[in-house]
Amino acid sequence: MTAAITIETYDSTYRMPSLTDARAEERALVVAAQRGETEAFAALVRQHQRRAYAVCRAIVLTHEDAEDAVQEGFLHAFKALDRFLPDQPFGAWLYRIMANASLDLVRRRKVRDADELPDTVPMPFRDPGESDELRRRLNMALTKLTDRQRSVIVLHDLEGFTHGEIGSMLGIPEGTARSDLHHARAALRRLLKDVRSDL
Amino acid sequence: MSDIRLYNSDDDEVVSGLRSLYAAPSSDGYWNELEARIMSRVADVELGWWTELDRWVRPAIAAAAALLLATGAAMYHAHQVEQEIAAESMLTAPAVPVSTAIRSIPQDDREARTRFLFGR
Repeated sequence: MTAAITIETYDSTYRMPSLTDARAEERALVVAAQRGETEAFAALVRQHQRRAYAVCRAIVLTHEDAEDAVQEGFLHAFKALDRFLPDQPFGAWLYRIMANASLDLVRRRKVRDADELPDTVPMPFRDPGESDELRRRLNMALTKLTDRQRSVIVLHDLEGFTHGEIGSMLGIPEGTARSDLHHARAALRRLLKDVRSDL
Repeated sequence: MSDIRLYNSDDDEVVSGLRSLYAAPSSDGYWNELEARIMSRVADVELGWWTELDRWVRPAIAAAAALLLATGAAMYHAHQVEQEIAAESMLTAPAVPVSTAIRSIPQDDREARTRFLFGR
């Protein structure tokens, strides 16, 4: 979605027609899905599932939770499809639902962990191929960020969402997203500096 | 707005590290399977009577409006016919003769005499 917006803003004369076609195609799929055509909804899933996964993965702690959140998010979207206005950008609407599904899952996990494992600190990231010190430290540093800071830095720096889009997804003002990003980057830079001096 | 001002070379390293930590599965098989799981759950969704009702709201409103129009038209037509019949019945002459319409008062001689005497 962000890529599409960026292209539209900076390269509108060159790519606008294909972008418009893509939007029209997506709109047609949405309308068909609203009429109850499941194949159209499957096409929307196919189109958006990778980015939806990325949004969820930025918010939850593990790959497995991201998978669960993506499935929940698409189910919510399917149930709420009648209320979606096809002229709006479908991606923005869908990713907000994904973010909400992820935030719900994080809340549920916190409650469960508080009930079941009061004295343990969860290791948040799966990292089967972790091989170097830098990545290990980065992983540790991420656990020291707040959930929101971590989500904001991943959504912005990895996925390319704008502050406004991140604010809308996480339900925070754009300025807060900007400030979270600044603090998260500063914290990670400090860590990297320590690692470099240690190595 | 750009974040160039806040971005420095250390961030490249951070982003690169984050990218490896947050890498999504790249195999097409994985995504096909995930899509299948999502669609299988979508197929199981019991939408509930309110959703089903919601789907029928627009056709129901249209049907109700059509019914209302038809009823209104029928009532108007019936009223018109009634008025026409009333107007016609007023304009046409009565079928019975005037003499039969006036009640006859039978009087015999004695009664007439009594009336004459006491009526004064």
